[in-house]
Amino acid sequence: MEQTLKRKITWTRMKGRLHAWLSKPANIILLVFLIALAVLTLYPLLSLLMETVTVHLGKEARAAKLEVGAHTLYHFKRIFATSENNYSWIQFYKPFLNTLAVSVTSSIIAILFGGVVAFLITRTNLKFKKFVSAVFVFPYIMPSWTLALFWETFFKNVNIGLKTSNGIMASVFGVFMPEWFVYGFFPIALVLGLHYAPFAYILIGGILRNMDANLEEAATILRTPRWRIIWRITLPIVKPAMLSTFLLVFASSMSAYSVPVFLGSPVRYYVLSTTMKELMNTYKGQAYIIVGVMILFGVAILMLNQKVTNSRKQFTTVTGKSGQISKINLKKANMPIAILLVVVLLLVAVVPLVTFALESLIVKAGDYTPGNMTLDFWIGTGLDKRLDQGDSTGILLNPKVWKALGFSLALALTCSVVAGTCGILVGYGVAKRRGSRLASWVSSLSFFPYLMPSLAFGAIYLSMSSKIPWLHGFLLLGLVGSVKYLPFASRSGVNAMLQLSGEIEEAAVINGVPWWKRMLRVIFPIQKSSFLSGYLLPMVSCMRELSLFVLLVPTSNTILTTMLMQYSEKGWAQFGNAINLLIIIVVLLVNFLVNKLTGASIDKGVGG
Amino acid sequence: MPEIVLKNIAKRFGKFVAVENLNLTIESNSFITLLGPSGCGKTTTLRMIAGLETPTEGSITIDGKTVFDADQGINLPPNKRDVGFLFQNYALWPHMTVYQNIAFGLENLKWDKKRIQDRVDEMLKLLKIEQFVKRYPAELSGGQQQRVAIARTLAPSPQVLFMDEPLSNLDAKLRGEMRTELKRLHSDTNSTFVYVTHDQLEAMTLSTRVCLMETGVLQQYAPPLEIYNKPANMFVASFVGNPTMNFIPAQVDSVSGNTVSLTTLGRKAVFTAETPVQAVGKEAVIGVRPEFLPIRENGALKAAIYSTLPSGMETTVKAACGDTMLTSVVFGSVDYRVDTEVHMDVVGDSIVLFDKENGKNAGVGKLEFA
Repeated sequence: MEQTLKRKITWTRMKGRLHAWLSKPANIILLVFLIALAVLTLYPLLSLLMETVTVHLGKEARAAKLEVGAHTLYHFKRIFATSENNYSWIQFYKPFLNTLAVSVTSSIIAILFGGVVAFLITRTNLKFKKFVSAVFVFPYIMPSWTLALFWETFFKNVNIGLKTSNGIMASVFGVFMPEWFVYGFFPIALVLGLHYAPFAYILIGGILRNMDANLEEAATILRTPRWRIIWRITLPIVKPAMLSTFLLVFASSMSAYSVPVFLGSPVRYYVLSTTMKELMNTYKGQAYIIVGVMILFGVAILMLNQKVTNSRKQFTTVTGKSGQISKINLKKANMPIAILLVVVLLLVAVVPLVTFALESLIVKAGDYTPGNMTLDFWIGTGLDKRLDQGDSTGILLNPKVWKALGFSLALALTCSVVAGTCGILVGYGVAKRRGSRLASWVSSLSFFPYLMPSLAFGAIYLSMSSKIPWLHGFLLLGLVGSVKYLPFASRSGVNAMLQLSGEIEEAAVINGVPWWKRMLRVIFPIQKSSFLSGYLLPMVSCMRELSLFVLLVPTSNTILTTMLMQYSEKGWAQFGNAINLLIIIVVLLVNFLVNKLTGASIDKGVGG
Repeated sequence: MPEIVLKNIAKRFGKFVAVENLNLTIESNSFITLLGPSGCGKTTTLRMIAGLETPTEGSITIDGKTVFDADQGINLPPNKRDVGFLFQNYALWPHMTVYQNIAFGLENLKWDKKRIQDRVDEMLKLLKIEQFVKRYPAELSGGQQQRVAIARTLAPSPQVLFMDEPLSNLDAKLRGEMRTELKRLHSDTNSTFVYVTHDQLEAMTLSTRVCLMETGVLQQYAPPLEIYNKPANMFVASFVGNPTMNFIPAQVDSVSGNTVSLTTLGRKAVFTAETPVQAVGKEAVIGVRPEFLPIRENGALKAAIYSTLPSGMETTVKAACGDTMLTSVVFGSVDYRVDTEVHMDVVGDSIVLFDKENGKNAGVGKLEFA
């Protein structure tokens, strides 16, 4: 009797606690996302693991002498420990070392370039600051292959690489660059470095801008020479941001696919991502192992990053009074530095666009005289009769192009709405339940897609979709895009929410305002610009994404980027360049419009 | 020993005027507070003297050396002015230990290791923070951080020490302790202290002279008690003193020499100043500190109790005399029921007569009701 009563009380208390727990929206959100993210990220991961021990159709089954679908460790043995014909060295170890070399170098370049510019912008009286800070983020907004493509078209010549035709450098200026300069390690590292430099600029610049000016002033008062202040005070304080940037750029470079494809493959310089793509067509199991290695690396980097940012020397941000620290006067060096910077930025951000425009105009490759130029590739008709290649009309008159553009925009919009909204919700849940295990699980899981190389992510979803009949076409693309870009959105969501003090929402709770109304009327308006940045980033990334979608896009319903890929595979260079330019213009336009209309900008929420 | 002289200093940010035409002489060895409400230009003034901010006009000399002159284009950087600066948020370097923070400035002076070690130890002992020497700032409490910041600032023995609201981030008890320490430090170090605060009590208790500012303009520069007893205008009178001075409206009937006949609180009264009364218009305001308004059984003024705020040692009593609310401070704990009728007197010879129009002090003296 007494026992049952006791049990009843315990049960009632538990029910009460459960009820209280569930009455907090943050808990429900976290729970829902935990389940959804587990399905969307852990399931792919598991299926990836399965693929590494499964025998696939084709060459693989023949080589392993096993039945398709059988389970084996053959792939591991083959890729890690086959000395015959240097197989493991060529397929794994060499690309692995190349990847390391490229990633480390590009991270260093990105930090040096981005960090120095961030310093110049925030701490000196440099001229043309407005122009520099506006144009500097261009390479990041533009697709990553832009610079690679530009590098190749600009410097290529008939002596090197595929030895097809001369680029502008060779045909106009008569300069034939050596192979190491045009293809392979050097240009890949440089191009990736330049592409991610804005990333470093945004992260380090943010710290420099928010850093309490009193810290430097205190040193000035104590008679510290300027260089010593920079060396002993400023640099150590931005060090965590620099390390963090280094690791993120490293992870991004490691999984980059399009740049090494354009600048490495012509001279058989392979990195993990390009080797993986090649293997995907022949030995799928080994390709998936490489994906696994890349993910492991990513996880290690993430853990390292967390360790770096949680150290004893916590950087409490007590905001000082003085907003304006006295800027370093560059004196005579000002003009030269400013001009050098402007020239470099023009080379990196503007000249590529001009080159693409030029390349889309010329009829015969390598001939840049006005007589060889035409607007036909943009607005011409009946082209296939006059030229022996390409579509019959210029891209602006081609319904296929418009359809692809519409499809691209719809996809970008979908991904941005889904990822952005989920990002805000994750941010809300994580910030509210900060420190709880549930929150840290969800926040790690939502960051996980960042570590999956796009190409591999696409491949895994492809294999998943073959088992689920209703998952294909637009739905599949939208799902992949949303999950892949969630890390950007959730990061800016979490940051925005952490800045918001809990009392702001509690004031509304006391007044009995329902949860959805609190979100819409209180929280969202306050952090509008950070949240909108959370929407903008997936949108821009999606517009320019290639590797994530390349395996998933149905041939009947292409998007602009895969169309570009098809055209350059077919060798329709002019169409390709025209479409490339179109993509860049659309991306810049979207970014510009969103920025003007809402004040959101890329630099407010950054990712890879 | 350094003397600091500011001549015609002005600072404008675009159209906004932070400080206007400021003339100030800070004598050596003094403890000066720059006092005023937030946004009055006191921090800007301090930062200009230290060299962290460049004035738009005027000149500054420290110890006879011109460190800034707008006309001659002289502007010495802060590190050449031999000054120390204590920041409101301490500005301790988060990546350095307490030792490294304190030693940093000494390393810049190219002292040898031994000497630095000795000096740091001395500072640690002086500020009683020896046990934290190996900690990072994030691992210290607010008060401990504050001490480290003071030690860091004092270590190179600057001739002039600037402090920008250094106690405002501390809790009330600690603030009280640190005030005592700072005053002690001033007499121990023999240097000139310039101290910014918006807390009038801090200014009153610490300084040898108070420089009271409002919207960039100097209101009064005098020793604390003079500020308290002979405020230059109604702003100064209301800013200094807690509870605030009573401002009682009055009509001036006639003025002759030191005496003014007036009507106030519905009564005729005579105000007798120590010196001939300055120009005063028809409308005047009588300023009476709460302690000069005692509650007495046969007092001249009748008032009804509005509220009583006992704090133990003293009690603040608010009472309505006609339409005018009067504040009185009574020694000891008393409690009155609301609406009780009491009688009050105006006593003492520190009653201030202000001209209502321009708010200026017209004379200090006694007030007698007819």
